[in-house]
Amino acid sequence: MLQFIIRRTLSMLVTFFVVSIIIFMMMHAIPGGPFDGNDMPLPDNIRARLMAQLGLDKPLWEQYLRYMWGVFHLDFGVPYQSPGETVMGLIAHAWVPSLVLGGLGVLIGAPIGILLGMAAALNRNSWIDYLASAIATLGLTIPVFVISTLLILVFAVWLHWTPASGWGEPRRWILPIMAYAAVPMATYARYARSAMLDTLNKPFVTVLRAKGLSERRIIFQHVLRNSAIPMITIFLPMFVGIATGSIFVEAIFRVPGLGAYFVSSIQKRDYPLEMALMLLISALFCISYLISDVLYALLNPRIRLGGKGR
Amino acid sequence: MRLVEIEDLVVSFRQFEGLVQAVRGVSFDLQSGESLGIVGESGSGKSVTCSALLRLLREPPATITAKKLVLGGQDMLRADKRALASIRGRVAAMVFQDPMTSLDPVFTIGHQIVETIVAHKRASKKEALARAIALLKRVEIKNAEAVVRYYPHQLSGGMLQRVMIAMALSCEPAVLVADEPTTALDVTIQAQILQLIKDIQAETGMGLIMITHDLGVIAETVDRVVVMYGGRVMETGPVEAIFAAPLHPYTRALLASIPGQQPGKQRLTEIPGSSPNPANPPSGCPFHPRCPIAEDACRVTTPLLETKATGRAAACIRVPAERVAA
Repeated sequence: MLQFIIRRTLSMLVTFFVVSIIIFMMMHAIPGGPFDGNDMPLPDNIRARLMAQLGLDKPLWEQYLRYMWGVFHLDFGVPYQSPGETVMGLIAHAWVPSLVLGGLGVLIGAPIGILLGMAAALNRNSWIDYLASAIATLGLTIPVFVISTLLILVFAVWLHWTPASGWGEPRRWILPIMAYAAVPMATYARYARSAMLDTLNKPFVTVLRAKGLSERRIIFQHVLRNSAIPMITIFLPMFVGIATGSIFVEAIFRVPGLGAYFVSSIQKRDYPLEMALMLLISALFCISYLISDVLYALLNPRIRLGGKGR
Repeated sequence: MRLVEIEDLVVSFRQFEGLVQAVRGVSFDLQSGESLGIVGESGSGKSVTCSALLRLLREPPATITAKKLVLGGQDMLRADKRALASIRGRVAAMVFQDPMTSLDPVFTIGHQIVETIVAHKRASKKEALARAIALLKRVEIKNAEAVVRYYPHQLSGGMLQRVMIAMALSCEPAVLVADEPTTALDVTIQAQILQLIKDIQAETGMGLIMITHDLGVIAETVDRVVVMYGGRVMETGPVEAIFAAPLHPYTRALLASIPGQQPGKQRLTEIPGSSPNPANPPSGCPFHPRCPIAEDACRVTTPLLETKATGRAAACIRVPAERVAA
């Protein structure tokens, strides 16, 4: 097990470096630079001085090495669009709303989805199953900006139950959380349904019935435990994907989160911020997959114990 | 005492092609302590018959009708969920074909035997575990104290089938239904498992229903045989009598196709044709398209299972009762 974790961590570091090189190259492959804006053209000599100051006149490989050297010392530089703070500081404060709203969205959406999927699997081909499938399909196919707009229309404009937007007092969180919850709920509804059905069709379930166990015990002890293994492993990657913010949800609900910076950093050629955001996402995904794999192994005796003892 | 009474059992499945009848009017019974073999090709309805007896089929798509479907005195067609759960494992226990997929992979062997005992008997977990260990010893598993802590993947197929037998025996059932218990095992292990089942049956006096397509298994383990084909019973009788002088042409063909009867013969004997498609069964006798002695009447009339001699019955209009009686 320890060997497995070490091996996975090493391959994770390799992945991380490859990703950093690819992002760096792609970032600089986009034509234009940070000071090429048309609305406020800079004289050539000033632009050249700024470029030299930021080290952008150096060859690309040198820029990359300098940047990574900084990363090793946890120095991610200063964002061009907000020179008064560090990249680290900007991400730290912008991430809070995304983490709170997106995180709560996953934590609320996933359990509802699991219950929905279970109900569907246990009542296969009944109206419950069709309803759950319809909800899951709608949740995955309707774009989140449409869902967000509908939520505002129904709960804020028609019913006047909640404020239409914002961050601040928790009452304003309700709608963005609901918008964030749609995808995890729908994903888990589909996942739980297929995992449960998959387990219910296994021969050992018939054996459990033939032993005279109650249906409740079969479902809640055996089927659930077997189905939980694949369901647990998708949780963390999903959490990372949603709790880093969505530009649509945050723009519609006017949440000062991380989502908008993903787009603005690319538009403004804000290389340090763009690089830091991409590395953050890749690192989080790498780590979440590593933890998922370890969890999967821990939950599954076939992997945890290997073939030992035969 | 009659442990099992099945009369005119019909099992159909709703499928895309329409209603498919897998079992079309099967009748037999089992006395306590008796061992009965159900033999037939795949698709003959033998497994479905026994799953229907324990009401293990999912209904729907399955529909079960019968004049009588009685297990241990309980009408299985009228039994509710609670009654079914109480009968299964206690009155009749089952051993399945593939031991590798018959156990829940995420629980230990011990847990799975203990939960069976606790479901039917007043026993503490500790008592149940002690009983589980004793049962594993009875099915000749060495270091049973350690094996209860193993997960299924840590044991071989033969060992797992022993575990399944131990689990089936854990509540002292009146009937053991063994559904092709040796099919998935190595040939060397098959004989051991059969001997084990036979020994335990002799020891406990429980009834045994052995489902198999292997006539060798039948010859070694049971007293009486039910031969099934196309969802119907073709012939039934004592095992020695059937092996010595099969009545039904299908039984005869089946016995002739056992390899190695004539020394030096190269080609294996087979039954020409293939078993009937349950979605579109032949008219009349299900065996007539492959039968060497079929006549016109066989295409029209479905033969009933008739007594042809003492304790022997066959469903064939070409087998006269006198011929055997004489």
